[in-house]
Amino acid sequence: MTLLARAGLFLVLLGLWEAVGRASNPLLAVPPSAVLPALRDLLLLRSYPDLPANVLLTVREIAMAYALAVVAGLACGFALGFNRLIGRAWGPMIAALYAVPAVVWYPSLMLFFGLDAASKIAFGFLLGFFPVTLAVLAGIRQVNPHLVTVARAYGAGPLTVFGRVMVPAMLFTLVGGLRTALALAVVGVIVGEILGSKRGMGALINHAYGLLRTADYVALVLVTLALVVGSDVVASLAERRALKWSE
Amino acid sequence: MTAPDRLIAVERVTKRYATSSGPVEALHDVSLTVGEGEFCTLIGPSGCGKSTLLGMLGGLVHPDSGRVLVDARPVTGPDPRRVATVFQDPGLFPWRTVLENVEFGLELGGSAAARRRAIATELLPPLGLKGFAEKYPRELSGGMKQRVAIGRALAIDTKILLMDEPFGALDEQTRVLMGEWLLDIWRRTRKTVIFVTHSLHEALFLSTRIAVMTARPGRIKSVLDLPLDYPRSMESPELVALRAKLWGEIREESLRAMQ
Repeated sequence: MTLLARAGLFLVLLGLWEAVGRASNPLLAVPPSAVLPALRDLLLLRSYPDLPANVLLTVREIAMAYALAVVAGLACGFALGFNRLIGRAWGPMIAALYAVPAVVWYPSLMLFFGLDAASKIAFGFLLGFFPVTLAVLAGIRQVNPHLVTVARAYGAGPLTVFGRVMVPAMLFTLVGGLRTALALAVVGVIVGEILGSKRGMGALINHAYGLLRTADYVALVLVTLALVVGSDVVASLAERRALKWSE
Repeated sequence: MTAPDRLIAVERVTKRYATSSGPVEALHDVSLTVGEGEFCTLIGPSGCGKSTLLGMLGGLVHPDSGRVLVDARPVTGPDPRRVATVFQDPGLFPWRTVLENVEFGLELGGSAAARRRAIATELLPPLGLKGFAEKYPRELSGGMKQRVAIGRALAIDTKILLMDEPFGALDEQTRVLMGEWLLDIWRRTRKTVIFVTHSLHEALFLSTRIAVMTARPGRIKSVLDLPLDYPRSMESPELVALRAKLWGEIREESLRAMQ
């Protein structure tokens, strides 16, 4: 039923798009019927023969940015969460920094890291870092102290308490933060590429858009979308596995 | 070797807690001995330090002065080889199944997976949890959760079982049934049980010994021995007389606690 409703909505939207696309200036908007051939040309490497290299570069930038964000976010979150003084002093600052639209930092990131992959990784990292840190902080607050007492009564030392009680108890929040971080790292890298680069999916999108090759532009966006949705599907599968007990 | 009547010895123990309105003395000069195989109940008004005393036996709370001996050795921290604890809040790990919760102590003790699975599986039927091995805690009733927690304590097979108001959160009927069930377990395993409760009925029905504690700061007011057979009838003349005596002692302290 849900599937049917979803398919119905999709068809209605496609129909609307087709109607609006046909009625508009073809330079600004294209109907799905024009996107399909463009998508075919794109996937057959006719319009952009270097698509695979660009996809690969973007994926690698995302992987790098995400890995750095997770490592730094976990380290920072646990350092703040386990150290009351540092946590009190810096916790609010982290939250305040997170509220600043991250894109304001991008110009200086380009100055520091140049126009190549490094600045995109830095931007993806910046976006992914905060949700991980804040999820760790929120997760630590959620651990039921009674469960820690129980584990200690059964002989658990600090490391065992961490591994057997804290981590599983935080997992729900933590996994949510990791998933958000992945989505934001993807956004960071692609926005970074669009704002200024010569390679990567963002650069191709910029190219097509700049030359008013609107059908190609939409096709590239669809490929990027597949990338984003794909990463989120992987993340949600991992999430479901980790949280089997709460179903 | 410990003398069998002194498996547990609490010697002149005092404990103060710092609170926002100044230090509060939870226990004052408390001494108590418990022999092997006894079912000793601590009873007294709320806030009299029963749980603090139990925490000391379990190694989770350290006395400010005095000492606590288990098996003639001073308690310095939790020792799951000798002492297992059941808390009022069952404290089950929600991400573990019933079986995995029962296995928890064995797992920390480093016993092999197959062995701990066998021990835990064997425990489930007497706990009334047959067929619940793969369930998660949120699927269980309050009484069942507490039986899982008791199973987790029994699994590590210690000489001593500490129970901090284990049935306090259950309704009256479940509570009576759980008491009968626990009595059965205790008589079969012959463990030494230290049991904290508010309930006169529970104390009289289960204990070989009852220690009445005073209102804060907690001291041992009196110790009653109950050399009666099991199962006990609340209508028997001995128990009626003991009940009146016990109520007299507790009433006085509860009134003091309310002032």
